[in-house]
Amino acid sequence: MKKAFFTIVTLFILTAVFAFSLPISWKIADKYSISFSTSGVSGIFKTFTGSLVFDEQSLPASKFDVSIDVNSINTGNGMQNKHAKSAEWFDAPKYPSIKFTSKRIVKTATGYAATGDLQVHGITKEVTLPFTFKRNGSGGVFEGFFNINRNDFKIGAPGGEVGEVIKVLVSVPVVK
Amino acid sequence: MFKKSLLLGAVSGILAGVASLIYQKVYAKSLGVDFATVAKPLSIIIVSFLSGIIAAVGFWLLNKWLKNKGEIVFNLLFTILSFASIAAAFAAKLPFDVDMPELFPGLVVPMHFFPALAWFTLKPLFIKNYEPYKKVFP
Repeated sequence: MKKAFFTIVTLFILTAVFAFSLPISWKIADKYSISFSTSGVSGIFKTFTGSLVFDEQSLPASKFDVSIDVNSINTGNGMQNKHAKSAEWFDAPKYPSIKFTSKRIVKTATGYAATGDLQVHGITKEVTLPFTFKRNGSGGVFEGFFNINRNDFKIGAPGGEVGEVIKVLVSVPVVK
Repeated sequence: MFKKSLLLGAVSGILAGVASLIYQKVYAKSLGVDFATVAKPLSIIIVSFLSGIIAAVGFWLLNKWLKNKGEIVFNLLFTILSFASIAAAFAAKLPFDVDMPELFPGLVVPMHFFPALAWFTLKPLFIKNYEPYKKVFP
């Protein structure tokens, strides 16, 4: 009887500890913004989906698995949009998504850094994306600013009027 | 002559503006895209009116400098400039929150021709030139 009691108590404590250490699975709220800019062109991606599992107290268990719809690109100009989706640039019919899957998330001096596989234009490369997370009541906001070299993913020809280093600004409000 | 051409420019400019607003409404209803936040109705009226006034000044100056050939040169210039101005419609960069920017030129390109169209339509009502007829029927 005594043994069974201790077993139940131990199981209860383990369950409680495990439950508290589980990172939160955040839902992407409206009004997120995925914008990019370089010399000659700037714009946004309007469709962003995926799962954001994150907890400041449980970084090893945190994980991002997100996707951007290439066809949702909007540069503000119809001809530029068509051009961006063409085979010369993103080749949207063949590669309709930009994907990022994190492998590890670590704390940094300024916030956090997610290292993972970024797949753009059918090419996958390991990148580290710095970001911050600010809690706001029952929700929060992920924000990140980083540079991507389009030549690494063979997007467009090197040089030309469009800059090679693309500044990407991500702001994703989330709710539980 | 200057007063008449100025009046023609003002009336044709306003007419072009009204035609543009009607076209904007029809375009928005038929295609389901509304660019009223980008091509604001008041801006359309002002730009159309100003293009009419500029045309009037141009018409007067060309007729003063080139005499009989002034109107021919003016008509050619007005048409060529209207046609050339559509490049701006294709190059326009809209705010990112405006959907389907590829449909924007379809809205504004016809508007670029409305001032010239209104001018050529109304011109005989404001500036009568009977010279050729006088030569045939003196």
